[in-house]
Amino acid sequence: MRFDVYTPLPLSLLLAVISPAIGSRVAPALAARVLTAAAVVTAAATCWSLFLLAATLVGDAPPVVAEARQDGHRLAEPVPEVIGIAACVALAVLLVSVQGAVSADRRTRRALRRLCEGHPADTELIVAASPEPQAFAIPGTPGRILVTAGMLSALEPAERRVLLAHERAHLAHRHALLVTATTLAAAANPLLRPVRGTVAFLVERWADERAADAVGDRATTARALARAALSSEHPRPACALGFTDRAVTRRIAALQASPPPRLLPLAVAVLALGALPALGAADATDDLFRMLAGVLV
Amino acid sequence: MAGTDPRARAERRSAGELESEVLAALWATDRPLTPAEIQAEIDGPLAYNTVHTILKRLYDKGLVLRDADGRRGAYRPAKNAAELTAEAMHEALDRGPDPIAALQQFVSGLRPEEEKALRDLLAGGAG
Repeated sequence: MRFDVYTPLPLSLLLAVISPAIGSRVAPALAARVLTAAAVVTAAATCWSLFLLAATLVGDAPPVVAEARQDGHRLAEPVPEVIGIAACVALAVLLVSVQGAVSADRRTRRALRRLCEGHPADTELIVAASPEPQAFAIPGTPGRILVTAGMLSALEPAERRVLLAHERAHLAHRHALLVTATTLAAAANPLLRPVRGTVAFLVERWADERAADAVGDRATTARALARAALSSEHPRPACALGFTDRAVTRRIAALQASPPPRLLPLAVAVLALGALPALGAADATDDLFRMLAGVLV
Repeated sequence: MAGTDPRARAERRSAGELESEVLAALWATDRPLTPAEIQAEIDGPLAYNTVHTILKRLYDKGLVLRDADGRRGAYRPAKNAAELTAEAMHEALDRGPDPIAALQQFVSGLRPEEEKALRDLLAGGAG
């Protein structure tokens, strides 16, 4: 317990540090999936470890101490009291943070549903009569693609096809689910924020690769991205994370190179790294139960 | 996927996908388009009859209108729902970074030096 219970913290840091490197080397579809899985498991393990640390305070509760003395048990002191209290505070803060992320997600979904109003249910493309160049996928069943008239008129015919194929890939591969999962993981464990940024970038790369496959031309796909980016004079900031900085330029550069290899061993290593905090937390749980059983039974 | 004929790829598009492409082509320009003009505005070869079928389906859904005062056989997109959507979109985007954060936007902001590199790419490319 002394040691295991803290393992999720350094392991989250390690995952955050290596995620950009994984994101730029491994094929985006594989990298996005393993990073999301690792982040979700790591976040859950971190919260559970904090809960275990907070639970050690039970050992300090007067009735437990009194009972233990009566039974002649020597009470184990696995964790200093101050750490138990700090864990309680951290848990409360993270709970609020996750709650905030969940309600932000709900607000977004509600806003997106409103955008589909008035359009026939069996139509994939929703056009917004706005000169501002915008395009995004609206997840749901069925998913929709929203594009503004401004974006459509900025692109050549082949580039419009790239745009539609890109957004279609977001919907077909449920990218919103991956991004939401990593957003919640990052809310539950702020050390994982860089992983969220990496996954957000990777789903764009993934959709770019699918679009290039669909139109059969990587150069046209790169040009579509360049034209779309240039068409917005004052683009709204998408997300202020380090890894998404220069995102369009990096996506174009990736399309000008050959598709990245899958590098399965590296992906397996990420999954293993994601599993380690869970093992540490599980072991710590076992220790805590044994300690409490020794005191209470 | 490498080595597949681009012509074959164009033909593989589903009816729903082609509907989106025809609608996108109509919205991309300010003037009404005839089926023949739409044919030229779609990437890849597409039979004239197919364009006709898709236009009829879009017309039945109320997404396109026949151009009444202009040339015969020309179509333009219906604007009502699209204008409401534009209003709702601006409202959502103006509300702050929260709603847009989760949207998968096609592209994000550029720096000046990136802008120059992209302009060079477009100027140097075949397009």
